[in-house]
Amino acid sequence: MGVYLTREEERIYDGEFGWANQICMKILVRLGELFNATRLIPISSAHVSGVSYKTLGDAPSDFLEALANDNAKARVKATLNPQSFDREYLRKKLPTNLCQKQSDIITYFKKMGFADSLTCTPYYLENPKRGSHNAWAESSAVIFANSVTGAWTNREGGPSALAAAIIGKTPDYGIHKAENRQPKVLVKLERQLQSEVEFGALGIYLGKILEDKIPIIQGLQNASKDNLKHLGAALASTGMANMFYHKDKQAKSNKLEKINVETKDIKQTIEDLTTTSKEPDLVFIGCPHCSLNEIKQAAELIQSRKVKNSIEFWVCTSRHVKEKAKKYVEKIEKSGGHVLTDMCIVVTWTEKLGIKTIKTNSAKTAHYTPTLNKAETIFAPLKECLKTAFKG
Amino acid sequence: MQPITLRGRAIVEGHCKAEALVSTKPISFLGEVDPADGKVSDKNHDLCGECIKDKVLCFPHGHGSTVGSYVLYSLAKKKLAPKAIINQKADPVVVVGAIIAEIPMIDQIDITQIKTGDLVEVNAYDGFVKILKRKED
Repeated sequence: MGVYLTREEERIYDGEFGWANQICMKILVRLGELFNATRLIPISSAHVSGVSYKTLGDAPSDFLEALANDNAKARVKATLNPQSFDREYLRKKLPTNLCQKQSDIITYFKKMGFADSLTCTPYYLENPKRGSHNAWAESSAVIFANSVTGAWTNREGGPSALAAAIIGKTPDYGIHKAENRQPKVLVKLERQLQSEVEFGALGIYLGKILEDKIPIIQGLQNASKDNLKHLGAALASTGMANMFYHKDKQAKSNKLEKINVETKDIKQTIEDLTTTSKEPDLVFIGCPHCSLNEIKQAAELIQSRKVKNSIEFWVCTSRHVKEKAKKYVEKIEKSGGHVLTDMCIVVTWTEKLGIKTIKTNSAKTAHYTPTLNKAETIFAPLKECLKTAFKG
Repeated sequence: MQPITLRGRAIVEGHCKAEALVSTKPISFLGEVDPADGKVSDKNHDLCGECIKDKVLCFPHGHGSTVGSYVLYSLAKKKLAPKAIINQKADPVVVVGAIIAEIPMIDQIDITQIKTGDLVEVNAYDGFVKILKRKED
């Protein structure tokens, strides 16, 4: 068995369209073989991770430059994950050489036709169509696409999403096949979840026990998309499941493995994500990047209060959403907070900025910052985060 | 000695003869191998301090970040890459790295048969590894 190629695909594989296209085709074919795909399928979009210089370091620059110079061009709509800083506030605070290296990486991607969206929430820019095939990296976006918008994508790595963007196709395996999208586990909650923090905690807790099994989670019929985003991002951080069902599906539940999540499990997970009782240097919301509604909510809760002098308050989002949220952004910035775009906390050099303790409502951030930012964390809902950040 | 032939699956085509460097542990090329000198830098790794340059690098499989693929490319550009990669079970990170770095690669090989210092021939067209000479010979 192998991956069957069309005549055109074969010509790309044989190098008739140059080295860059050939190497990207080889990546897709070999990965396809590895996962027993028999063909490549066209995709509607690609979303590439591995953009921030903090995570990449110098190694990928050479490869990206070589691809760009060999005229590799994205054949489908292709977006990029966040980089290491925003273009205004942090750029001025970080060493010039690091910023230059980051800019070089973005230049290569842009030369290849990638949109410098620099967000982990490409679905706010354009919602992928229900049932369309896509090749997305960024685990939180993958799980949101599969579970909430109904678009189909495997969890790609940076290089495989890049190759898929250049070829416009992906090997047909994993969650691109309907039989692999079936739930295996039925999760029952002792009581309805109350805040984004509880949704995130549920994700962290389930990810550790589910491995790659797709769950149906009962009791989420009325959950907001923002809360489902937090749940998915956390679930994908600790587990390999790329999808969950949040509506009681027609699935025959007697065939499913059953898991009961008790209130104490959620409570314990929230407590475990907090590593300190110290005052934070930074209060942060926006992982995954804030929706318009989340920015509005924060702005309204702030009222006319001011950020404390000893604390930084950051709201991370995409440029696209920031543009739409102008009046709320003005309010947050007037209060002394910063609405930062293009970046993500865990791929930013927070240590270089003297940030040692972070308070956040994001379970994903709370899960990663102790290792990736060497920072202590306090995990609490938006209201509490704002209470800490603001005077009065 | 009579050469021992181990059959596997060719992943990236190529051919070479070189000394084997064998690990019992998975390798993450991001964080566990120093891209500046090609030495395994992770203190907890059984190859810590060993240089992978020009070796037939045998390990069970890769793990960790997909950025690891790019590290293999970068090592190859600096002529610090292994001559070939032999895995028990190929995984996406190493496969993509071997493709873009053009390092011959075979998987589905019982690497416990190969010892560090053995002279091996890798035929990654037909998918086999020949142990030509044992280290102690």
